[in-house]
Amino acid sequence: MKNRLKRLTGIIIILFGILSLRLSYLQLIRGARYARLSDRNRIRKIVLPAPRGRIYDRNGVLLADTRPSFTVTVIPTETNDSALTLLASLINLPFAELKRRLEPIVAFPSPVTIYRNADPTIVARIQENNFRLPGVLIRIDPVRNYPYHELYSHTIGHLGEVTEEELAKDSTYRRLDFVGRTGVEASYEKVLRGKDGYEFVEVDARGREIGPLAEKRPEPPIPGKDIYLTIDHRLQNLAAELTKNYDRAAVVGISVKNGAIICLLSRPQFDPNIFFSTINPSFWKNLVNNPSKPFYNRAISSGYPPGSTFKPLVALAALKDHIVTPTTTLLPCTGTFRYGNRTFKCWSTHGTLNLLGAIEQSCNVYFYQLGLRLSIDSLTEFCQRLGLGKPTGIDIPGESPGNIPSREYLDRRYGKGKWTRGTMLNFAIGQGEIMLTPLQLATLYCCIANEGYYYRPFLVSHIDSAGIRVKVTQPTRIDVSINKQDLMQVKKALTRVVQFGTGRAAQHNEITIAGKTGTAQNPPRPDHAWFVGYAPAEAPEVVFAVLVENAGHGGAVAAPIVGELIRAYFSSYDE
Amino acid sequence: MTNNRRRFDISLLALTLTLITIGLLAIYSAGGGRYLLRQLIFVPIGFFGIFLFFLLPRRILYGLTEPLYALTLLLLIAVLFLGTGPGARRWFQIGSFSLQPSEFAKITVTLMLAKYLSYKREIKPNFASLAGPILIMVIPLLLILLEPDLSTALCLVPPFAAMLYWQGLRPLHILLLFMPFLSFAAGFSLYLWIPFFVFLAVLVFLRMRFFRAIAALATGTVFGLLSPVVLSLLKDYQRTRLISFFAPWFDPHGMGWNAIQSQIAIGSGRLLGKGFLHGTQKRLGFLPNRHTDFIFSAIAEETGFIGSLLLLLVIGFLIRRILLIAYNSRDKNASLIAIGFAAILFYQAFVNIGMLLGLLPITGVTLPFISYGGSSLLTCCLMIGLVLNISAQPE
Repeated sequence: MKNRLKRLTGIIIILFGILSLRLSYLQLIRGARYARLSDRNRIRKIVLPAPRGRIYDRNGVLLADTRPSFTVTVIPTETNDSALTLLASLINLPFAELKRRLEPIVAFPSPVTIYRNADPTIVARIQENNFRLPGVLIRIDPVRNYPYHELYSHTIGHLGEVTEEELAKDSTYRRLDFVGRTGVEASYEKVLRGKDGYEFVEVDARGREIGPLAEKRPEPPIPGKDIYLTIDHRLQNLAAELTKNYDRAAVVGISVKNGAIICLLSRPQFDPNIFFSTINPSFWKNLVNNPSKPFYNRAISSGYPPGSTFKPLVALAALKDHIVTPTTTLLPCTGTFRYGNRTFKCWSTHGTLNLLGAIEQSCNVYFYQLGLRLSIDSLTEFCQRLGLGKPTGIDIPGESPGNIPSREYLDRRYGKGKWTRGTMLNFAIGQGEIMLTPLQLATLYCCIANEGYYYRPFLVSHIDSAGIRVKVTQPTRIDVSINKQDLMQVKKALTRVVQFGTGRAAQHNEITIAGKTGTAQNPPRPDHAWFVGYAPAEAPEVVFAVLVENAGHGGAVAAPIVGELIRAYFSSYDE
Repeated sequence: MTNNRRRFDISLLALTLTLITIGLLAIYSAGGGRYLLRQLIFVPIGFFGIFLFFLLPRRILYGLTEPLYALTLLLLIAVLFLGTGPGARRWFQIGSFSLQPSEFAKITVTLMLAKYLSYKREIKPNFASLAGPILIMVIPLLLILLEPDLSTALCLVPPFAAMLYWQGLRPLHILLLFMPFLSFAAGFSLYLWIPFFVFLAVLVFLRMRFFRAIAALATGTVFGLLSPVVLSLLKDYQRTRLISFFAPWFDPHGMGWNAIQSQIAIGSGRLLGKGFLHGTQKRLGFLPNRHTDFIFSAIAEETGFIGSLLLLLVIGFLIRRILLIAYNSRDKNASLIAIGFAAILFYQAFVNIGMLLGLLPITGVTLPFISYGGSSLLTCCLMIGLVLNISAQPE
């Protein structure tokens, strides 16, 4: 017992001895230095903002990077109200708002961001009044820069200022930080963001920085990771060029072999750089109130009636149910088709056609007759099997599922038994409640081109961190059970569409292109023009889907755009 | 009774009152009048606690040990569902006051351990001997970990270790008991684990038979390798959370800001301090939680090296007093209780001051008698009351 008491006492003496030694080191040996540091707490914590990751196209063309910009910051403990009043007038910010931004006063003198991306005139004004603005500092921060301006407004997306809710949820964000709102910027926010660093600097009595604090190593910022997109800048540029005369359009290009999106465009566009500058209010108002909704990604968020581009699918469903064979002829097309007391129109007079001819000529009358024979349940099931009616799973937010009406849907909408087979007539030509996004149509044609499978579309091919590849997207193959013979017949018809039928405007001298036109009715406004095509027809590599709103016939408007894109695609890869 | 009164340990009470007074002055200086007034409400409650436990016949407390222990477990479970606290469930909010059951667990676990160990004639390093005490300590410890409150949970370990030692278990065996956990925590970084392994290897080969040493070393290695495996299975954010929870000292970017601020405050006190109420660091609000966990920094800033050293001495004498009472008590149960309390008070004082001096990671451990807070003060007072009781009445 005596021994144990002695030992326990010994432990206390040794451990308290260590504390005393440390005390004497801090207070006696290092005391003078700490006394100086504490004199007016001459340490300042500086945030070193992490530059956001860069975004490249598939060939390494830089699509988004950061540029230096001026940030006005205030150190709450070193400033006073008269300085803040002056600052508020210099940067045209209400005094109350300025105070609010200073609100999260931290326990040490740390510059709080007040105003980002200040233009040089403001910086000059602040510098002129330097002596009257204690605690106000100008810092150079990285800010997002999109060198191609509006070209990638919907693909890469844009950033927005962090909201109060987001601040409350994630304490690593600070006021006035920018967060990805749409596109790749939003879905890859965590990857792109990086981690801010810190640095502690010693300051003299007049607030001037002397140098880094020896006791605390700086924590350097960790830049965001770099993202390489599957997009081909040349094709994206060309797509924009080819659609520049139209107000509202969408272009989707997908590699058939892995689902990589090589071009994704929605019109109208906007310049995502505007969010970092002082926006002219009327300019902003125009943008927000524009009836064409520039912030709306038509390529993935908007469902359209697919029109005749849907016919190959109806044909496949009919073949599956053994309603027709590829050579079955039905009643000849006289330009109209009477069902009940309604007359359904065709766009021309085609006479007698078989299934393949009906696809080639896009004959409505033939497909009306197919629609009458198809069961709604069978068609719905077939569409769902192809993944229609739900999002494709592309790696950016905001995708619409489109709409594939089922029996239950129609019962709900029109009342049980209140809808007729007339509805099916419409569905058979891709009209009515059927809604698909341009992206969905593109994946649908990937499935046709591949004869029974497609890949989940994706935009990010790989992610690099400091030059080292950290993640590569693995394509996800999705198999669809469709009779291969049927598919080959339909593909033959699609090749003839471009050779002899409605899609001749997409023709190419050396490469056989296959595809389907669509002219989707949109009463009372003009028709939407569609073309979805793939090439080469014999061994498909790429699919393009083009939609131009209210532009008329798909064969005349959309087909030539796809033709140009395919031409460019093969010229750039053959080189 | 007259015989007992003679043994009343006036010096222990005097040391306690000194510490409480220092605490009140420091709270006033660091936190201002508002905190002083609130703390002053707890002082009479603390005194009442001292006298209650001083006068309470220990036989009653002995009989109540199991119910009190069970009640503690119930409260620890209840606080997980009904408790409040920033980011964790630690307190019951009763009106404007909060009650922290994990504080009182320190007392009841010590009582329970003492009772269990006191009717064991001898304690051996085997499963049959150790399973009971381990369970008594580990169940509340795990419940406190769930809150989560690692630093309070760890406060249950020193009394456990000290009482086993007091009861005759060899220090080597006590160390081996904790070795797997130490190895797991050290495993977060190779720089920590290699010295740990070397130390362990030297120790076991010098002090144990060969094959047992190998077995001990193998166990340590397995647990050490476990942590990188666990880490690799986690997502990034989970990993950082786990490391900062179990190994807060593993800070890849150097010392934390709080630690620096605290050291500046302490260091700037120099030999004689800046004088009462003249501390600059704490006045400017640079010291975090300056009236609770960081109060020693404020004291050291204002009273300097001399004052800090005196405070250490007062705490040291207090603990030495309790150890002597434990040694002199012929009641085995009472002796163990006193040892357990001494271990708790010493551990908290050492960890609290050590972290402020930058020697240990910053965790939420209060400085006994001095930090602001009712539960903490009351717990310490109850301990002192019982130790005074033990010194006065050798039952």
